[in-house]
Amino acid sequence: MDTIVLVSILSLAGLGAFFAVILAWASKKLFVKDDPRVEKIEAALPGANCGACGSASCQLFAERLLTKEVTVNDCVPGGAKVAERLATVLGVESQAAEKKIAVVHCGAKSEEKKWRSDYRGLKSCQASTLVAGGGLSCVYGCFGYGDCAQVCPFEAIVMEDGLPRIDEKKCTGCGICVKTCPRGIISLEMGNGTHPLIVVACSSLDKGKAVRSICSVGCIACKLCEKICPELFKVEDNLARVDIRGMKEDTDWKKPLEKCPTKCIVKL
Amino acid sequence: MGNLFLIFISAVVVNNFVLKYFLGICPFLGVSSEVKSSLNMGMAVTFVMTLTAPVVWLLSTFVLIKFKLPFLEYVTDIIVIAALVQLLEMFIKKTSRGLYRTLGIYLPLITTNCAILFSALFLVLRQYNIIQSTLFGLGSGLGFTLAIVIMAGIKEELEFADVPEALKGAPIGLLIAGLMALAFYGFVGLPSA
Repeated sequence: MDTIVLVSILSLAGLGAFFAVILAWASKKLFVKDDPRVEKIEAALPGANCGACGSASCQLFAERLLTKEVTVNDCVPGGAKVAERLATVLGVESQAAEKKIAVVHCGAKSEEKKWRSDYRGLKSCQASTLVAGGGLSCVYGCFGYGDCAQVCPFEAIVMEDGLPRIDEKKCTGCGICVKTCPRGIISLEMGNGTHPLIVVACSSLDKGKAVRSICSVGCIACKLCEKICPELFKVEDNLARVDIRGMKEDTDWKKPLEKCPTKCIVKL
Repeated sequence: MGNLFLIFISAVVVNNFVLKYFLGICPFLGVSSEVKSSLNMGMAVTFVMTLTAPVVWLLSTFVLIKFKLPFLEYVTDIIVIAALVQLLEMFIKKTSRGLYRTLGIYLPLITTNCAILFSALFLVLRQYNIIQSTLFGLGSGLGFTLAIVIMAGIKEELEFADVPEALKGAPIGLLIAGLMALAFYGFVGLPSA
């Protein structure tokens, strides 16, 4: 009996020691010199592996950063914070990368959407676009099927009343929704940092009358906003556009919002 | 020779580890959302299985049976698998950076894959010789790869299917696994080792 206990202890210990020696020898023999900076850079990255930078993973981004294929500002979701951390690891200056967030340029809620045909296929914006441009009367507007909410890797988009609502805190500005939207009505804008975020919630390039006939909240290109505040608004191709560079501290951006007859200019 | 072929084929399809014995289910359900990554997982498992089989056989024949210690089999198998995976990882990292990157996290993960432990226990139970053992390991690994790749292919198609709300995610995966197992039962008619 005693011998069995002894033999099993000895053989297991021997086995352990045997493999330990082999592994120790192998780790010396097969040692690969990793760049210690890769690990440090990886620690500074968000680690979401979202792919917004164009690299497949955060580790790959770290390796490409060292070979100078990408720059510290290329991590979109990380924003300025990560850029700064990366810069300290690498010992270079970071250019201020302001955080951008996604905004939707359509304001038609479910009850305001008008349909010209009855589409009964897959509930997806991209699929319905393929069938004669979809059933929505407005060829510029949001379908409300929520493709953008589905692709968002950060769950920053929820569908509410037939419109995507974007959570400013969760949105990292990776731009995946911008690429997904078949209507192209999502864009990345500078967030509520130094100035309020003003958005024209319409993308229609149709003339005012045509817009009015199918939508009660679309931009009818009346140019009222341009008249009140020419440094901030400009109407081009029958659509009001915001030039945020015109925003000064004393700019009265509230008045055009009140005066807009269809209330399609909003502050987020 | 015929016997060897039989062992191989039966390990791949007839006695498929995943679909007949329901082993290695966690990677089978977890890492099967993309064909590419599931193929990597399958490759890693096949690699380790083929390598562990002869080592386990040597140990059990020349150490465990000789010293009358068959009860230590589980412990030794785990030690062998863990050590080999470590060694393999170092080796791959040294020789092929590309393969290392492709296998990535899967390699250390399969240390705890029950299918690998089972294959090590099985070949002792069946009293295979060293060549049969190696072939059995290779076959089992390929069988695992086959099952997980088929699963991933079906799951990719499923993206476009109208799955009922209650069945989305894991439930539909389990249903598919069940149907696949039934389909693989058709292979039982083949002669197996």
